[in-house]
Amino acid sequence: MSHEHVPLDPSVAPLGTRNFRDAGGLPAAAWRADQTEQTLVPTHCCFCGVQCGMYLRVNAQGKVFGVEPRNHDINRMRLCPKGINAYQQVNHPDRLTAPLMRRSRDEPFREVGWEEALDFTVAEINRIQAESGRDAFGMLGGASLFSEKTYLVGKFARVALKTRHVDYNGRLCMVSAAGANKLAFGIDRAGNPFSDILQTQCLLIAGSNVGECFPVMTQYVWGARDRGATLIVVDPRETAVARTADIHVALKSGTDSAFFNAVLHVIVEEGLTDEVFLAEHTTGWAEVKAAVKAYPPSRAAEICGVPAEQIVQVARVFGTADRAMAWHARGIEHHTQGVENCLTVINLCTATGNLGRPGAGYGTITGQGNGQGGREHGQKSDLLPGGRSINDPVHRRQVAAIWGIEESELPQAGTSMMEMVWQMQRGEIRGLIGVCNNPFVSLPNYAVVKDGYDKLEFHAQFDFFLSETAANAHVVFPVTTWAEDEGVMANAEARVVKHNKAQEPPEGVRTDTWVMCEIARRLGQGSKFAFEGSKDVFDELRRASAGTVIDYYGITYERLEETGGIAWPCPSLDHPGTPRLFEGGRTSHPDGKVHMQVVEWHPPADPYSDEYPMTLTTGRTVAHFLSGNQTRRLGGLVEQTPRPWVEVHPSHGFRNGEPVRVVTRRGSEVLPALVTEAIRPDHVFVPYHWPYPVAANVLTVDALDPRSKIPEYKVCAVRIERAEAIDPVPAPPVPPGREAYPEAQVSRTDPLPPTSPQGRGTAERG
Amino acid sequence: MAGTAPPPQGRPIGDSQVEGGAPGVVASTTRTTAVRASLIAGAASVLLVVAIVLGSRLLRDFDSALVPYAVATVFLTFGVVYRYVVWVSAPAARRMFVQGWKAALSWENLKRSPAALPKMIATYLGFQKFLGARSHARWAAHQLIFWGCLLAAAITFPLTWGWFTFTSASAAGPGYEMRLWGLRLFGFDSGSFLGWALYHGLDLAAVMVIGGAGYFLWRRMRDRAATTGQRFGYDFLPLLALITISVTGLLLTFSEMFLHGGGYEFLAILHMASVVLTLVYLPFGKFFHIVQRPAAVGMQLFKYTARRKGSDDQELQACKRCGQPIDTVAAVDNLRATMRDLKLGFDEWAEYCPRCKRVLRGTAYLSNVKRGFK
Amino acid sequence: MLGRTIFIDPGRCIGCQACVSACRECDSHRGKSMIHLDYPDEGHTVASLPTVCMHCEDPVAPCAEVCPAEAILITADGVVQEADPTRCIGCANCVNACPFGVPKIDLEAKLQMKCNLCYDRTSYGLAPMCATVCPTGALFYGTVEELQAERPGVDVSTMFAFGDTVVSTGVAMVVPGERRTPVPGGMLNLIEVNGRPTPGNGARA
Ligand code: HEM
Ligand code: SF4
Ligand code: SF4
Ligand code: SF4
Repeated sequence: MSHEHVPLDPSVAPLGTRNFRDAGGLPAAAWRADQTEQTLVPTHCCFCGVQCGMYLRVNAQGKVFGVEPRNHDINRMRLCPKGINAYQQVNHPDRLTAPLMRRSRDEPFREVGWEEALDFTVAEINRIQAESGRDAFGMLGGASLFSEKTYLVGKFARVALKTRHVDYNGRLCMVSAAGANKLAFGIDRAGNPFSDILQTQCLLIAGSNVGECFPVMTQYVWGARDRGATLIVVDPRETAVARTADIHVALKSGTDSAFFNAVLHVIVEEGLTDEVFLAEHTTGWAEVKAAVKAYPPSRAAEICGVPAEQIVQVARVFGTADRAMAWHARGIEHHTQGVENCLTVINLCTATGNLGRPGAGYGTITGQGNGQGGREHGQKSDLLPGGRSINDPVHRRQVAAIWGIEESELPQAGTSMMEMVWQMQRGEIRGLIGVCNNPFVSLPNYAVVKDGYDKLEFHAQFDFFLSETAANAHVVFPVTTWAEDEGVMANAEARVVKHNKAQEPPEGVRTDTWVMCEIARRLGQGSKFAFEGSKDVFDELRRASAGTVIDYYGITYERLEETGGIAWPCPSLDHPGTPRLFEGGRTSHPDGKVHMQVVEWHPPADPYSDEYPMTLTTGRTVAHFLSGNQTRRLGGLVEQTPRPWVEVHPSHGFRNGEPVRVVTRRGSEVLPALVTEAIRPDHVFVPYHWPYPVAANVLTVDALDPRSKIPEYKVCAVRIERAEAIDPVPAPPVPPGREAYPEAQVSRTDPLPPTSPQGRGTAERG
Repeated sequence: MAGTAPPPQGRPIGDSQVEGGAPGVVASTTRTTAVRASLIAGAASVLLVVAIVLGSRLLRDFDSALVPYAVATVFLTFGVVYRYVVWVSAPAARRMFVQGWKAALSWENLKRSPAALPKMIATYLGFQKFLGARSHARWAAHQLIFWGCLLAAAITFPLTWGWFTFTSASAAGPGYEMRLWGLRLFGFDSGSFLGWALYHGLDLAAVMVIGGAGYFLWRRMRDRAATTGQRFGYDFLPLLALITISVTGLLLTFSEMFLHGGGYEFLAILHMASVVLTLVYLPFGKFFHIVQRPAAVGMQLFKYTARRKGSDDQELQACKRCGQPIDTVAAVDNLRATMRDLKLGFDEWAEYCPRCKRVLRGTAYLSNVKRGFK
Repeated sequence: MLGRTIFIDPGRCIGCQACVSACRECDSHRGKSMIHLDYPDEGHTVASLPTVCMHCEDPVAPCAEVCPAEAILITADGVVQEADPTRCIGCANCVNACPFGVPKIDLEAKLQMKCNLCYDRTSYGLAPMCATVCPTGALFYGTVEELQAERPGVDVSTMFAFGDTVVSTGVAMVVPGERRTPVPGGMLNLIEVNGRPTPGNGARA
């Protein structure tokens, strides 16, 4: 017998022990750790709203080549996998290093000089605005930009483009909480610092997969439990924090307000309210109390699909704690009643007197690195710097004066991001500049988004990797990563932190600040954009915010470097900042009270039917960030979670890895099944970091909350079917003639779902 | 971490073997092993002395100036054989040694795949292809050292033993002839390329070794992977020894050719001292891998022949839980026997792949110790 | 007894794999991650288990004992090192003997690699990469006293039962305060957990 199948070498070894494919990442040579000089540049992670401190390791040639944990008091050296791999973006082979341009979408991109790209852009802006009016040109910003740049996006749109149409991707993220905070408290930020969590007795987390989306915040959650706190998690999925929680309320997506109303109902019934606090510090309690009367646990149990006893249990645990806290995130915010959901949580904290004390309070966990800072200084359609309203004549005059323009020149309020896409479809917006966003992955109902963008006569996008959206544009400006410029961000605690420049940008790459100022100059507004760099912008921002609720005046780069972060409001140079709000029950409303709001539950926008009987909910996974334009290029993260999946309960009879077609009224796609008991039987889950054809947002509904205009990502009607073959995951886009860095893409074609929502175990695929 | 009787740092080779298990048993086996090893090593040394005497035609061809070198080779032989015997007496090495030789000497194997052994020797010992997978530079540097040392040894050892002689063919001419054990091999002209190469062979070897060892030295100062836990005696000494030998050797040529023998004597002593010390040190430090590496061939051949016996289904051990292949059945059996020799009472676990072992332990922890936070 | 070492608490682990990425950044084996992260309750819960080398003390390093090439050395402070590159012949004995499933092997390079407790860091008093970044404290580096100061009421175990054999280790696992028996190293014939069949993850159909 001859066995030619046996090679001389290599021999066999068990799965997961035998090679190191997971090295991925940078060009292999760059992984060697030479004992050369290195400088550690203190900065923060570019990704989520926790804003963990880190050092970037910079070599003798001045290039970022690694990361070192940093003992900053936000994270105390901890980092999540995204933060650890973040540095690999800086000198990544997929970086854009020259402007890309084409006159029509039928042509391929070609690399051009900055002059040509800027000239074309300015000519198109002028042409479109001359033909169709100023408002026919729009601008969309992002909340991963430094606050200086978000300020600049707002100013650029209103002063240089003179358009009302400016908005940003925080619209897809935080705005429900922002709206609720403004209504109830008159100030839009979390009430307590993370460190307060350690002192609570009862921690309620609603709609937040803390372990995956804000991993480093978990240390505070666990720290509270080490000190004896009870943990309540409200989430349709049994996430990592829900798995061990003392109470896990696995309610149906889209029923949060019914649940929280019922909890408040029980608290009222059982006399667990803090009447003294309510009497002194609130308005509207009588109405709220009357409204929740209609939500006995039995009714909510039916709506939410949870046992009535569990609602009573939550109410008792939360209501009897001396110090209780509630934190929530997108899970309750991404709904057509997102603002109202948040308000029910605020009502709960307020009615039990849990505000403004160590260990007692309320907060929202911002998603993007600068999710907090990004919404403060005027890139939102209705806001001006310092959280001022663009509809308020006084505010308009103040800002016009700071910017050196007439109040009449200042455009009126625009529309929200999704509405702008509808306007593009209708031809009301014909030109667009996008900065730091990737709506082709991140906006709901992909078909509509694609159609809207395709109708644009001119579209320019700023990015450092070619995003799916940028790949559809006319002009792409290559801009810096966070490590190539300095600036500030505000984390989920509203603590302003400083990011430092670790290396010079690659040849051909400019800062977003430079590009915006340069276009403004060519539009004849140069004098109002004479900024050398972030510091100049920050100084203007400080002045522009002075005296407002969001007062940055006392915050300077020097102070930030000395202190490691200051929470606004910080009105003067000797002010220590304000880590905790609502001390003594005082809010930022003129009357100093919490304005409690009545909330009635209503069902989600997308109706269930025999055809679409189940619920689709979407969300994130720990290894990827937002639209994945950054993380889908980093080898280690792709290795951990190479592709999206559909999470289904075993009761549907699918086997792990089988192709499942997920169908909604908007579209359908085939994903491998991750069969797990950790999800409700009537729900399926799809993570959203990947593009068409495997984008979760092919499926989601573009229905908006009427107040915050946040899309209802977290719930729509769906059905699942058996299918033949799964849809492949496309490689991240790169300019023509280049290939997405292959070493990082090795595992992308894995047809199987990850072992667990957090990713593939390290030893499973060879 | 305070270990239970942690072994000392930078211990000589091999002692990681004898820890644990039943100390008494291990100690007594060590003693008998030592005696046996000494006997065999002594015999080998005597054999070498006899070979030298005979090969140099009863010391007629022996160059008395090279005595220290010759003596060093005798010590080297003793040391190498002694260390080798001790090494292959430990359970794991003994079993692998037996399996390797069984595979190499099996008539059956020789018939079926005659090319396997020579191919493996060429790839694992000669060209060390696997080093390329660690890094191309390491492969190149090691090849330089390896062939350099081999060349140098091939020239010098027979010379010191008096086995090779060069005699002039005529009293005056440039003609030389080379003799082995007194027998004329060939004649050549000192001006010819062959003559030049033979004369400068050692210089060439020195240059190669300096290149390779120089790279490794450089790497040992820069690459954090290499510097972690590196020790002077184990990691630097061999490289410094090689460089000293090569540099002093080159300087000898330099002195002869350009300085008319200036400093020659001093250099000659320095060179001799470094060579002698290196040879004596060889069995005990990093250089022992030269003797040990053929085990890689034995191991590979063992697994290869075991796997060739039948289909993968029969010859590969499937994990008892997930069914994925672990290794050849023969290798797993050999390992389990080794574990039983060592009184490691969990050889049954070797039938599970590492991942399943972890998953089983995780499951047991979840169900038996702590399901979650508390 | 225990000095400064790693304490593992799978109960707190969120399975984020920060440790896996961080291990890759450790200078002594940059680009290669040695730590394992498994999801042992696949299909049921998102529970996860990080595995670093336990630095076995009694029997001292089974991996080293079964190595035919004497490639695995143990330093005076009890750290079981990864294979010496000059000696390791890539036979995988250590891979399959280790009861905890720790060593990895690069077959092409004929080289075993495993967790060495970030020797480049710990020998200078820094914590290993994995335990430095772990967002949850599932991997904790310090002394028992430091651990217990942060987490009142917990205890640790360095005893692991594999069948009748108990392996004691230099790295510890966190156990509830009252527990005195060794931590099970796994039950080979375990068929049910909490009334459910044990997960057959990865099983060939
Ligand atoms: C039998 C054939 C040989 C084999 C298979 C072999 C194999 C190896 C291997 C695998 C390494 C580790 C290299 C690394 O991973 O970077 C090594 C290192 C080394 N070898 Fe050899 N070797 C052989 C013969 C020799 C010879 C004849 C010499 C010369 C004296 C030698 C000198 C060295 C030295 C000095 C190092 C250490 C390099 C360092 O500092 O890392 N080897 N050898
Ligand atoms: S938790 Fe957020 S800020 Fe911290 S490392 Fe991870 S992504 Fe970055
Ligand atoms: S855990 Fe495994 S690799 Fe670590 S010392 Fe023990 S046997 Fe060796
Ligand atoms: S793979 Fe290397 S370290 Fe492991 S037992 Fe074999 S020779 Fe020893």
